[in-house]
Amino acid sequence: MEWCWLASVRPQQFSRGRPLPFRAAARFRGRLSKLRMSLALLGVLLAVGVPAFAHHGSASYKTDKVVVMKQATVTRFLWANPHTMLMFDAKDDKGNISHWAGEAGSPAAVRSLGWNKNSLHPGDVITVQLYPSKFERRVGRLDKIVLADGTTLKDSPRSDLGVLSRY
Amino acid sequence: MRNLFQCCIISLAGALVVSSLAFAQSSPKPNFGGPEDLKEKLGDTGPGGPAPKHDLTGFWAGKVAAKLNPVPAMTPWGQEQFRLHKSNGQYPVADSNDPIKGCDPLGFPRNILFMTRGIVFTTMPGKTIEMSEYNRIWREIWTDGRELPKDVGGRSADAPDPRWYGYSVGHWEGDYTFVVNTVGSDPRTWLDNAGHPHSIDLRVEERYTRVNHNHLEVTVKIDDPKTYTEPFVITKSEFTWIPEQDFEEELCVPSEQAEYLKLIGEPAAHSETGK
Repeated sequence: MEWCWLASVRPQQFSRGRPLPFRAAARFRGRLSKLRMSLALLGVLLAVGVPAFAHHGSASYKTDKVVVMKQATVTRFLWANPHTMLMFDAKDDKGNISHWAGEAGSPAAVRSLGWNKNSLHPGDVITVQLYPSKFERRVGRLDKIVLADGTTLKDSPRSDLGVLSRY
Repeated sequence: MRNLFQCCIISLAGALVVSSLAFAQSSPKPNFGGPEDLKEKLGDTGPGGPAPKHDLTGFWAGKVAAKLNPVPAMTPWGQEQFRLHKSNGQYPVADSNDPIKGCDPLGFPRNILFMTRGIVFTTMPGKTIEMSEYNRIWREIWTDGRELPKDVGGRSADAPDPRWYGYSVGHWEGDYTFVVNTVGSDPRTWLDNAGHPHSIDLRVEERYTRVNHNHLEVTVKIDDPKTYTEPFVITKSEFTWIPEQDFEEELCVPSEQAEYLKLIGEPAAHSETGK
């Protein structure tokens, strides 16, 4: 099937490291320890903070995996409020067709990203990248679409608030 | 030193691996979007000259959602209301009971905290009108010196009914700050997207300060002793003058929302067996 999962997010672990070989170096151990803690904290912040600010927020969708479907065919595009919707068919390696539905931000949200009512038409062959439902349904929050001419239509990002904006 | 080197490598590797969704150069790269509102797209527009006195007239661009401060401790009544609210942040949209799930009005003050991509001020004799891009709603802010109504939602025959957008009066403090006080917001509306509640006793003070021609700051203060143990400032947000003095049409359309729930919201929230 012409889709793949991106790597899932896993917490990293930090090695305690080997003992320092020289006494002079050992005097710096405390300082190095602080530095190590700072670096570790940086790693944790990057790991946790970036996805938290970056992904669409939705309790229905996975945020740690993205499905990519190439050579998908648009069957319906709804320029609808408050959510733009895309129906499309994806074909696997054996030619089996599966029907998918994806949502994007509101027209007002995605217009500023280059979309409009006529961005997609039935029959268009596209690449779709989306965050799938947690329930293994063929539904997802769109991440981006690549048109046949290479044009990329990104979906709007989620709000950078504690609560999750879907608009 | 080797320990430091090892630590650096491990930390950076961990950060890069775990943040690979954001920064990976290999295809496919997840999209973290571009500007999601006109304010972000406009960027820094500069002051644009001094602020005109006693004048907010025009179209202003804001963020999709204001950055909110934490709410203070809730009263037992407030906690009980909050417990009943299932927000979109915690539940799939199909399972939430957010009033806007069915395109009910955001109501006030939620409409000045969320879906604030665009607002407009204009004046009429004795009142200022504040309009919103989202759902193209408006509020009348009386400036003729009248008092706010009393006993909104009371049982007496002349008691005013609660309103989705309340009853508002406004006045200028100095030349550049327009102060709006509001009562009577319908308690069916939520304070914010997290589902924090409010009661009919809610009083809201908005302070719109025009810093210069291009920038408008608003501070929103909540006072609802039935729900919260103390008054609090829920947000201080900013708006930017829109050079074209126009904005998008942005509505919640009930029929389209119903189709969304049928095609996407419901399937996304449950397994094939409906669990």
